[in-house]
Formats: sequence, C-alpha cells, structure tokens
Amino acid sequence: MNRSILSSALLIGSLTLSGCWEAPPMDTEQIGYDGVGMQVTSNPDLTDPLKRANVLPEPIPAAAQTEGGPKAGDVYQNVQVLGDLSIQEFTRTMASITAWVSPEQGCAYCHVGNNFASDEVYTKIVSRRMMQMTMQTNTEWYDHVGETGVTCYTCHRGLNVPEYIWFDEPPANRTGGMAANSYQQNHANETVAYTSMARDVFDRYLDGEQEKIRVIAQTALPIRNVTQNQSTQATENTYSLMMHMSDSLGVNCTYCHNSRNFSSWEMSPPTRVTAWHALQMVPSLNANFLSPLQPVYPEIRLGQLGDAPKVNCTTCHQGVAKPLYGQSMLDDYPVWRGEGLGGERPYVEAYDPMVPMDQQPTLDGDQPVSGQDAVPGEDESASLDPVLRHLMTGSTPADGPASVVR
Amino acid sequence: MAEYQNIFTQIQVRGPAELGVPIGRATGNRTTSIASSRLLGAFANAQLGPIYLGFTGTLSIVLGLIAFEIIGFNMLASVNWDVVEFVRQLFWLALEPPAPEYGLSIPPMADGGWWLLTGFLLTCSIGLWWTRTFLRARALGLGYHIPWAFGAAIWLYLVLGFIRPVLMGSWSEAVPFGLFPHLDWTAAFSIRYGNLFYNPFHMLSIVFLYGSAVLFGMHAGTILAVGRYGGERELEQITDRGTATERASLYWRWQMGFNATMESIHRWAWWFAVLTPICGGIGILLTGTVVDNWYLWGVKHGIAPSYPAVYPPSIDPSLTEAMR
Amino acid sequence: MAMLSFEKKYRVRGGTLIGGDLFDFWVGAFYVGFFGVTTIFFSVVGTLLLVYGAALGDTWNVWQINIAPPHIDYGLAFAPLKEGGIWQLVTICAIGAFVSWALRQVEIARKLGMGYHVPIVFSFAILAYVTLVVIRPILLGAWGHGFPYGILSHLDWVSNVGYQYLHFHYNPAHMLAVTFFFTTALALSLHGGLVLMASNPPKGEEVKTVEHEDTYFRDIIGYSIGTLGIHRLGMFLAINAAFWSAVCIVISGPFWTRGWPEWWSWWLELPVWG
Repeated sequence: MNRSILSSALLIGSLTLSGCWEAPPMDTEQIGYDGVGMQVTSNPDLTDPLKRANVLPEPIPAAAQTEGGPKAGDVYQNVQVLGDLSIQEFTRTMASITAWVSPEQGCAYCHVGNNFASDEVYTKIVSRRMMQMTMQTNTEWYDHVGETGVTCYTCHRGLNVPEYIWFDEPPANRTGGMAANSYQQNHANETVAYTSMARDVFDRYLDGEQEKIRVIAQTALPIRNVTQNQSTQATENTYSLMMHMSDSLGVNCTYCHNSRNFSSWEMSPPTRVTAWHALQMVPSLNANFLSPLQPVYPEIRLGQLGDAPKVNCTTCHQGVAKPLYGQSMLDDYPVWRGEGLGGERPYVEAYDPMVPMDQQPTLDGDQPVSGQDAVPGEDESASLDPVLRHLMTGSTPADGPASVVR
Repeated sequence: MAEYQNIFTQIQVRGPAELGVPIGRATGNRTTSIASSRLLGAFANAQLGPIYLGFTGTLSIVLGLIAFEIIGFNMLASVNWDVVEFVRQLFWLALEPPAPEYGLSIPPMADGGWWLLTGFLLTCSIGLWWTRTFLRARALGLGYHIPWAFGAAIWLYLVLGFIRPVLMGSWSEAVPFGLFPHLDWTAAFSIRYGNLFYNPFHMLSIVFLYGSAVLFGMHAGTILAVGRYGGERELEQITDRGTATERASLYWRWQMGFNATMESIHRWAWWFAVLTPICGGIGILLTGTVVDNWYLWGVKHGIAPSYPAVYPPSIDPSLTEAMR
Repeated sequence: MAMLSFEKKYRVRGGTLIGGDLFDFWVGAFYVGFFGVTTIFFSVVGTLLLVYGAALGDTWNVWQINIAPPHIDYGLAFAPLKEGGIWQLVTICAIGAFVSWALRQVEIARKLGMGYHVPIVFSFAILAYVTLVVIRPILLGAWGHGFPYGILSHLDWVSNVGYQYLHFHYNPAHMLAVTFFFTTALALSLHGGLVLMASNPPKGEEVKTVEHEDTYFRDIIGYSIGTLGIHRLGMFLAINAAFWSAVCIVISGPFWTRGWPEWWSWWLELPVWG
C-alpha cells in the first residue's frame, strides 16, 4: 500500500518535472510598468538545481607576492602570453586552468610530461589563443560582460570541451529530385526552443558575417523607394535567433523588449543594449579566435563539415540570465582582465595558429605581439612540483632546484 | 437534477428515412441509403445520408485530395521518407512558399513550386465547393446566404495566400502549409508589421469573433431554454410567432431593453460571423501595402497609451558605437 | 410605453431568487429585480471609479485611458488607491455586476418559464474573466498579474504576457480555444445563413420548410444536424471557447514557466519513437 503511494507520488512528481506540468508557487519579478505584462516568472523547482549547479569553485588562495621576483617568462621557456606574471601567479593560474578545464587529466592535458615547454599537444596552442580570447572578452567587450567578466570556467565548467558549443550544419536535408526543399526549418529542433523555425541561426547571426537582424519598419507608412521591405520570412529568421537567446538565458522576450513595439530602444529595458553588445561580441569571437583554430584540432574535435567548434549564447549562459548568476571570478583571478601582464596587449585578429605568438602578424606589421622573446623550447623541463610545494609552504624559491632556472 | 435540461435527447424516435426534397431530375444524383447513429441521435439528428453527388463536388474533392497529398508527400520527403519521423514531427513539418528572391515568378518545384501548385489546386477545390453550395441552394429554391458567408471566408483565404502576396510582389509573403509553421508565420507577421493588435481591422475582426461566440451562446442558450415551447422550430416561429419566440424576445428585452425577433437574431448572427473574416481580410490586406508598422500608425492616430518610465530609456547602440 | 403587443400577459409576479415582491417590477422595458438593483449599484460605482482613475491619469482619450493593477511587489494585499487600488475596486465591482447580471438572468428565466441555459453560458464567460483577474493572480501571488483596464493597454498586456512564453500560439489549450472560437464563428454563419436562406428565398419563391434546411445540408455534406442539434452544438462550442481560453491562461505561469513550444518536447521524447 505504501509502496504504491510512493510510486504514484514518484510518477506524478516525475511527470511534473518531465516536461508536462509544473506546479506553483512561482517567483515573479516585474520589469516594466504595472499591468504592462513585462516580467520574468520562474519556478524554484527548476531554478534551484540551476543555482546549485552554478556555484563557483573554491579559488586557489592568492600567492604571497614577493617584490621584484622573477617573472614566468624569465624562468620558463616558451611562455608566450602569460610571461609577465610572477612565478607564483603564473603557477596559480596554471593550477586554476587545470581545475577548470582538465581536472581529470591534470597538466598532461596540455603539456608533454617531461617537457612542459613543448607545443606538441594541440591543446597548448588552442589554450593560448583562448587565454587571449578570455582577456579580450573582459576588456574590449566590457559592455557586455561588465565587471563580472569571464574566465575559462565560464564556458568549460570543469570539462575539456564546453558542454554547449556548435558546429556548422550540413546543408538542408534534400531528399533530392523535385521534393520540396525545407531549408533548415520545419523540423522539431531544440536550437530554436522547439518551434518549427529555421535552425541555422548560429551560422546566420553568430559566425563572422552577420545577417541583418533588424526587420521591423521604422515608419508607419511605407515610403516609396526608401523603405526596404524585409520579408515575413526574414522576420522568422530573426525570431529564431531570439528563441535561441531566450532559451540560453532562461528568460523571455519581455526581459529585453516591450512587445508593443519590439524595435523601439526607448521602450526597451537596458538589458537589450547589453544583448546588442553580445550580438557584436559572439560573431567576433567566433571569427577571430575560434574558427581560425581549425587547423590545430584533431578530427574528433571538429564538426561534421570539418569546422572548428564555436560559441553561442548557451556556451557561457547555460540557462541563466547572468552566467554563474553574476558571480565574478575576476577579483580572485585578475590576470583575465590582463592585470599583471604589463603594457598594451593588442589582440591580433588575423591569427595563424601554426605560428608562435611572437611571430604573428601584428596590428602595425612590425612589433611582435607579446613582450616575450621566448623560443619554442625542447630540452629543459620546468618542473612545477617544487613551485607548487613552495606555494603551499610559503618558502621562497631562492634556494629552489637548479632545474627551475633556465 | 431531476428536471430535463434539453441537452441530451432522452427518447430517440426512429422514423422513415428522410430522403430529401425532390429536385427534379437531379434527385437521381443523391445516394439512396441512409445510416443511423444512436450516438449522434442523443444530441442531434441521427440520420447519416443521403448525399448529393454532383460534378462540382466530385471534382472539388479530387483536387482537394491531390493538394492534400502533395502537402503530405513533401512533408514525408522532408524527413527522408521515414514514416516514424513523419508521425513524430508531423506538427512541425510544412510545405513552404518560395524564398523572397523569386518574387512572383514560378519557382522551381523544390523551391516553392509545389507550394504554388498546391495553392492553385486548393483554391480551385474551394471554388468548386463554393459552386456546390450555390447550386444546391438554387436547386432547392433557397436564398444564398450560406454561399455568401462562405464567400467571406474565401475572401480571407485569398487575401492571405494570393491577393496580398501579389500586391507585395512576392509569393514568399504567403502562409506555409503546416501546423506549427503557419503559427510561426502568424507571429512573424505581427512582429514584422509592428504589432497587429494596433491594426484597427484586426480589432474589429476580433470584436466580431468574440461577438460571434457571445451571440451563439446567447442564441443557443435562449432557444434551448424555450425548447419546451418548440423554440427550435425557428422557421415556423418566424412565419407564425408562438409563445417560444415571445418568451425569448421578452427575455432579452427585459434584460437589456431591446430584443431581436426570431428572424432578425439570425441576421445579427450572420453579420457577426461574416464580418469576422471580412474585417480580418481587410486588415491583412492593408498590412505591408498601406501600413508598415501598426504601432507607429497607432501613435500617429493618437490611440497608443503612454506609460510612466520605470527604467531609463536606452539609445540605439549602433548609433553611438562604431560597429566592429 | 415600451411594451410589445403581446407582452402584457407575460408580466406576472414571481420567479425571484431574493427579495420577493420588493423589486419585482419593470422600469420601462427593463426588469429590475433585486439583482437589477445590485447590477446598477456595481456598474455605477465601478464606472465612476474608472472615471476617477482616468482623471488621475494624463488623458481623456478613450483609447489611451489606462487603469493599471498594482505593482507585483504588493502581492495579494490591498494597494493604495492611486497605485492599483482603483483597479482592485473596479475588479470587485465588475465581478459584482457580472454575477448580478447572471442571477438576474436566472430570475427572468424563472419568471418566463424558461430554462437556465443563458446564465449557464454567461457563467463561463464570467469564469474566464475571474480566471484572468482573480484565480491566476492568486496562484502567482500578486494582484499585479491582472490585465489593466484600458482599450489599448489591455492589448499591450496580452502581447507581453504572450511573449513571456516566447510563442504563445504553441500553448495547446490556446490552440483548442482558438479552434473553438473559429468553429463557433463558422457554425454561427451556417446556422444564421440556413435559417435566412429558408425564410428569405429568391424573388418568386415561397418560404421554405425545415425539410429544405435538412435537405440542403444532407445534399452538401451528407448530414444535417437538425434544428435542436445546431443549438446544442452552438452552446457547446461557445462554452468551450470560453472555457479553454480560461484554461490556457491559468496554466501559463502557475503551471508552466518555460516557452510554450518547449512543452511539446514530451511528444518528441516519447519512448515509442525508438
């Protein structure tokens, strides 16, 4: 008797959260004026697990800084991006990246065991560019990420490959012959929140050349020879982009818009401006950082069409309006704002991953990009163990093993 | 409740089959047998059949079936002929009109040609069916109120699928054949043209739609309420007013100060129902052709309310930022 | 003055629910009754409150007048008059007036020896209204969830609440309600048309009979629902249109917070698809 009650309760409970029904009470937050209907309604049954999943990892304690200590670039070979950091901060950064990206494989995920300077492992090359990408996101794209900013953890969350990435899709399912082409729409698809709209949103709007998003006329009456009529079909494409954005952030349309007049900026909440910056940022990151890494990846990391993995809104947001509920990791890891690295760090957009950083084409064609004169090293290994040990104990590296110093 | 409420027939009477008013030679075109449904009989007439088999009706069904099959097979093709996926994704599947670049030209079959052909066959089918409703009325010496009501619905159908796309210069503006996809079209249409709630003909159409539901609720309720006086025998009540009509009329007169007659209520009904698609069609037709943004049109004509600002107004960032 | 030719014999006492003979009289063509008094009371007070609310606002343009519900942060409390309190009082008056009207319909039906079908149908419309402004707000924990009283402003509410669910057309109960609305309009046009066709034939023809009505529909679609059946069907369709409308809005929020298209994922993920 008790068992059947329990199993009924389990069944009802699972039905409730299995996608059929939810149950009150709900949390609501009003966005616009009273009675306008702009609000966010969320179900604690759904948001509580999200909150638990979005807890920051414990930060590694900041190292005791010694003034005038050696820099990582002086001590280790082939440090192309983080060379200006102190050894302590460098080591700490490496340890944190390991925890965020490869907690199981450890250092071996990017480094060759007896030669940490080696670039043989593709992940080392990829991660260098991603470090630059992270720093650029936090500086150039401040209008989107603000003081909160991002770190490797924001996308990776302890996984080698972030859970939510995207690849180019093969062209539409053409059955061939005279059968009608359905393009990339009219199938059930999670990408566009299960509507039947076009699912090739990422390709259109988040990769390199961005298609025109704005579709709504800005005058009441069409003006001959002036009004460029966007079609209803184009509107559906924009709508499907909005579906992706809403779904990735776990918000609804009224979070950024007043639907009585979608296109009006005066009527839109400030969140819309932040989102606009995202729509500039994501195609830029994909075009300048992620897609050019394609030659580096092994085949298992590439898409069906051999393209590199790219990011969309879900990669960082993962169902939450502010990634990680707006908790910033930058206070604990200011390196990702570019702090401690000294000097201007112009991020070159024409990037060749097969070429070391210091030989990359630069903005003005002359100066090397990084301040390092690092050479791709081979022989001397730089063991981190003593460094880590001294971090924990607080002893100075002055009497460290000879292998640490080049 | 022990009292009979006139919802379900308590005792069903089976009489001889009603084979219909004779229509001269054409009477032979009717089928001859009838069937009887107890289930139907509990609520309405039990008799099924006979049906008139004429030229227009038969051709209409044939063309309609062809159109239906074209839609279905293209949907099946879009899931690679997988029948299981077809059933699974049925609500999402569609036959789409061509892309905007084809304008009003006849596109390749795979890029909207099938849609255009289907639309043409479906329109012919509907037109033929309309003819059927007209000819059957004429044969029986009846007025033509149903054909004209059907005409109002056809007006809306033609505006959506033909007249407006032609005026806009592109088949791509028309509605796709598909369950969810036609809803996506509806939402995209409203978004594109600045919120259709501000379209006055949309407002009127909704007034008539909701009004139709109100009126049918009122009229049906009234007739059922005077069922004990034979109220549903409306034709006889029209030509020879009985206590059913008198009570029904007074019911509303005492409530709201005026009333219809047994005939005129059906005029109210007809007009509300028919004005729904007529106004709807006008509203669609004006959209994009005469008005490009209904909200802005509303502002222009002083109907848009203003609300206090609760957040600071934003400025279009593309005006102030250099695009990267 | 306002009596129809046959009316006098129907003006009898009786049928009242409350008040006995006290309010059992007519004013002109209008029957009063106890609920006539309460209707007038609630309607007048409610309308005056609406006018007061409009006076507090910045416009007398009938399209733009807006009486807003309270802010959501007021929860289920009574809000200050100028911050949603007027809306709350108007809502109480509206419900009072609608229920009074329905009960007056009952009294008049009893007096005329008619069934209660009309107030039953009207009750479903009242249910839809009460769902929107009482039931759903209570389930969501704030009166601020009700729709504002204003011609265009209530449409802005509809639009925004719809987009809170990304694409409200995918709400299955909304689909049902829309289907019932459209079918009601269709059936009404057919019924109105059929009666008028038979009673208003072309010039030279005689007025037709119920046999002609049945024959017309049997000829066209092989079935005629009949004079009684069409009214039962009409009542069924109209009631369902209102009912599923109420359902579709009460589930949006209290029983579903995601986009409505996502609700259909249960179908896509059925194990039967293999």
